[in-house]
Amino acid sequence: MLLKLQNIRKSFGKVEVLKGISLSLERGQILALIGENGAGKSTLMNLLGGVFTPSDGDMQLNGNAYLPDSPIAAQIKGIAFIHQELNLFPNLSIAENLFINQFPIKKLAGFSLIDRRTMRERAVELLRQVGLQIRPEVKVEELSPAQQQLVEIAKALSAHPQIIIFDEPTTSLSRHEANQLFELVFQLKAKGIAMIYISHNLDDVHLLADRIAVLRDGELVKLDVKEAVDIQGMVKAMVGREMSEFFPARKVLPDTKRLLLVENLTAKGFVTALDFHLNRQEVVGFYGLVGAGRSEMARILYGLDRFDTGNIYLNGRLIQKPNPADSIKNRMAFLTEDRREEGLLLGMDIQKNVQLAALSRFSRGIFRRIDRKRAGGQVSDTVQSAKTRYNSVTGQPVSTLSGGNQQKVVLAKWLLTAPELLILDEPTKGIDIGAKREIYGLINQLVEKGSSVLLISSELEELLGLCDRILVMSQGRITASFTKPMFDRNAILEAALHKQSETLPT
Amino acid sequence: MKILRAIVRLMIRHATVVLLLAVLLSFSLLSPKFLVSSNLVNILIQSSSLAILAIGMTFVLLTAGIDLSVGSAMFVVGVVSGKLVISGLSLWWAIPLALAVGMLFGLVNAFFIVRLRIIPFIVTLATFYAGRGLGLLISETRAINLPESFLQIGSSRLLGIPMPVLILLVVLLLAHFVLSGTQFGRQVYAIGHNSDKARKAGIPVDRILIGVYLICGLCAAIGRLVALAQLGAVSPTFGYQNEFMAIAAAVLGGTSLFGGKGNILPGTLVGALLIQAIQNGLVVINADPYLYPVVTGMVIFLIVMIDSLRHKSAQKALRTKTAA
Amino acid sequence: MKSKTDSEALKHNPEAGSSNKLIGNLLRNPENTIVYVCLFYYLVMAFIAPGFFTVNNSWNILFNLMPLMIVAVGQTFVMLGAGIDLSVTSVVAMASIIGGYLLSDMTALVEPVWLRMVMGLGAMVLAGGLIGFLNGLAVTRLGMPAFMVTLTTMILFSGTAIWLTRSQNLYLLPENFVNLTYSSLLFVPYPLLIGLIVISAAWFLLNKTLFGEWLLASGMNSKTAYLSGVPVSKTLVKAYVLSGCCAAVASILYTARLETGSPVMGQHILLDVIGAVVIGGTSLFGGVGKIHWTVVGAVFMTLLDNSLNLLGLSYFLIMIVKGLVILLAALLNLMQVRKLT
Repeated sequence: MLLKLQNIRKSFGKVEVLKGISLSLERGQILALIGENGAGKSTLMNLLGGVFTPSDGDMQLNGNAYLPDSPIAAQIKGIAFIHQELNLFPNLSIAENLFINQFPIKKLAGFSLIDRRTMRERAVELLRQVGLQIRPEVKVEELSPAQQQLVEIAKALSAHPQIIIFDEPTTSLSRHEANQLFELVFQLKAKGIAMIYISHNLDDVHLLADRIAVLRDGELVKLDVKEAVDIQGMVKAMVGREMSEFFPARKVLPDTKRLLLVENLTAKGFVTALDFHLNRQEVVGFYGLVGAGRSEMARILYGLDRFDTGNIYLNGRLIQKPNPADSIKNRMAFLTEDRREEGLLLGMDIQKNVQLAALSRFSRGIFRRIDRKRAGGQVSDTVQSAKTRYNSVTGQPVSTLSGGNQQKVVLAKWLLTAPELLILDEPTKGIDIGAKREIYGLINQLVEKGSSVLLISSELEELLGLCDRILVMSQGRITASFTKPMFDRNAILEAALHKQSETLPT
Repeated sequence: MKILRAIVRLMIRHATVVLLLAVLLSFSLLSPKFLVSSNLVNILIQSSSLAILAIGMTFVLLTAGIDLSVGSAMFVVGVVSGKLVISGLSLWWAIPLALAVGMLFGLVNAFFIVRLRIIPFIVTLATFYAGRGLGLLISETRAINLPESFLQIGSSRLLGIPMPVLILLVVLLLAHFVLSGTQFGRQVYAIGHNSDKARKAGIPVDRILIGVYLICGLCAAIGRLVALAQLGAVSPTFGYQNEFMAIAAAVLGGTSLFGGKGNILPGTLVGALLIQAIQNGLVVINADPYLYPVVTGMVIFLIVMIDSLRHKSAQKALRTKTAA
Repeated sequence: MKSKTDSEALKHNPEAGSSNKLIGNLLRNPENTIVYVCLFYYLVMAFIAPGFFTVNNSWNILFNLMPLMIVAVGQTFVMLGAGIDLSVTSVVAMASIIGGYLLSDMTALVEPVWLRMVMGLGAMVLAGGLIGFLNGLAVTRLGMPAFMVTLTTMILFSGTAIWLTRSQNLYLLPENFVNLTYSSLLFVPYPLLIGLIVISAAWFLLNKTLFGEWLLASGMNSKTAYLSGVPVSKTLVKAYVLSGCCAAVASILYTARLETGSPVMGQHILLDVIGAVVIGGTSLFGGVGKIHWTVVGAVFMTLLDNSLNLLGLSYFLIMIVKGLVILLAALLNLMQVRKLT
């Protein structure tokens, strides 16, 4: 038995976050840890990683008591933690990142200098282990997210870990890159390294894990070998009830009136000759790999980035040079992928966040004075209709909300502008299942009230459940189109991947 | 056409060097006395104090900090060492004491920044005030004239190299090695990118920050002694606005105010040389002295502008690359 | 617990700034420690500093406070937008010599005098606005760091002011202008009147208008703001223009008081200004701050200066104390933030 947790408890103040968890892990075993946000996954892993210490219970590593008091202590004992947010320094080289805390040293006239040659040799070896063929002198900022992930793993390997904890490692990876990562995971497993894998992506979990542990409200509600648990079972264990109506049917069909028409849209290096349309009350999904040009297309439509040629018509009117302010006037809304950096004012309260995009509508007179009463009333209505959970609309910074509730705040901001066209870029990324379902419900309500939605997602399940049409993009082009009941999982996946290998780089 | 574009790109990348050359060239066209070896050596000597100060500042800026107090630290160092020397203390005692005063300044800054977690801007703003007041208090707001012996050091040569330049050279090389060749140096860059991440990675952030402010204080003291050895007197405005010039030199050399980016060699050195070359050139061509700050201000503005535009285009290039 | 009751109070009363609630809020709000410190300090000094608690000295404090406060209020706008304006000192100097030149009886450019006054004062404010506009453009359009932009414009325009005047002061300002300091409208001295107008206008702009909301959002997170349709660049440029105009208005008061247009006017106020804003509690990172915080900060800096002078402390000891006080204020501020979170 490599790792053994017995009756682990952890409380913060009076709140008990972990209520007696017992788990075990053997060499070369992969344990998947799933659960909704707030179920206690991170807390449990932070206990293992030395960030917190347990309030009660017993942890054993190789039969000895294990009680790390810092992340470094955990690392020394052989437990590596790869966080969702990579802990790399993009301004330094790969090799420097690998050895940031223990550079190989040579002595020169009493000075401890970095031994560049040894560092290079060891870096090359570590990179080889993760299958990354890049010179170690290259700066990390020049790497793709997937390559950075590999560097992070190489860094973990440098400490010769017995256990690696992965926290949502695939969120910023394309399908293809994720598969490469999984190959590496299996290689590590073959070497006898045990892994704990945390993810919201249940398909991945099912693919990788030997055993699956489900946490809910700080308790271990299910622990079984993978063969004994299917995806439905996982969802049920996580949420605690049957989720038959995960994607409720919409009460309306798409209108035949055209809302958006895009002709031959090209931005060199990003998207090429895009032709598509969107009707009123229609939900059109965009599927593709990361980097296929979906987000870029959305940013161009909304006016964040420029395009070279092509025409965009909204309600039959040609949009010359889109910019965000005009787009909002044209009743567009854009929920971007990066909620913290582009969606929220983290230090401000819900009121200020939600009213932001509609502010000018609440102002009047030459000084553009704001009618706070009207703004306040509409904001609290909208926030409530978005089912956001909070203590106070004013006085509570949104940084204190959970990821799902933060996303609902961003959504509420756009709902307040009463958009005709809502562009959603990965709206449920990193959000737990309960909040996901509520967001799906909101999208349906919105469409029923007359809006159209352009939905970009990397979760095929989501697109299949919500969309009237799905367009697939690959390398900046639309490569396939599917219309509702004719959705074909395999054909969609193939369209997203196929073109990739066919087209030669130019 | 392609070559031309490549040259333009190269010039933009090394804008500061190109500008330094342009400044040297235009002054040499304006006056035959500018581009002669004796004057070039002069520029080196004159810029040594600022360059040393800017080297210390570079360390601080790399951690995304700032030290507004170096001018005041320099002033206090000048006053203390002046007083000590006048009171008959030998230089061998006065110099280490002066250096210790500089480091003490750094230590005080570091204490507030590291232990009490007050942002560097505020801390050093406060020590800026306190330091200048302290200096005025000690000097009783009178200028202090130093004995000949001090000046002699300033004009002496070793192996034909003027003493100030030699000191600059030593400081420059040491600092460069520390930054690029030691664990400490690389961790400075890591902290500058993100100190929370650095802490998570197990880097002793506090210890390194203390080290950085100590280095900055020490450099301020060395720079001050070098300047003293040339000027021979400490006036009440001694070191005034030097902190701004030091920051300007570092930033001109490509060091980011937001931390994590920049270098001392060639960066900060070229920045300091550039500022001094302009000042020197204006003197050589007999320009209206009132124009000095105007011209200096405009040139710094220009370079920072070019630098910002360069960053903008670099960001664009990076985006294209990841998408392709 | 404390923060909870506060947010409750705010919830029930979204117009939390309205007049009769203002005092109550000041007392209840933990972020107003600096107000108590100020009051306490004032009381202590009233007892120990000779001549502090007199009518004469109170006027003195008020006259010293007004220009500093006005510059600091302008600076607050820039800092709320996550910038910094170091060039305010050079604006004071430039406005002072422009005003001096246009107003002076030596040049006597225009008669009658009142027309000259209008022209001169207008030109001063315009000059401040222009320098602010330049700063704003460089920061927003060219993407230059605010610190470097305003540092160079500070060096540039201070230098220009000295160059243009060859370091000479401009004397012989018209009587009406010089008397500005000592005359009053309906018993309110003009400096106080101007100060009050500036504060009220700034408070109105920040708390009641679209511009204020946009500025706070831009300062907190410019990406989010831009995406949400906020004209970020325009808003920030306006903040710099306001800062320039405020510094120019302060220059009017300084110039009138010293009765000369001077190219080195305001050279030493920069750190007082930034100190006042920061002591008030406005964040250097943008998006967090209030006008009345800055007013209190300016009051405190002025009280400090004045009282220490009366206590017979030398100029340099005052500087040391000011330095320590800035640190102390920052520390207090920090302790509150920690208590709240």
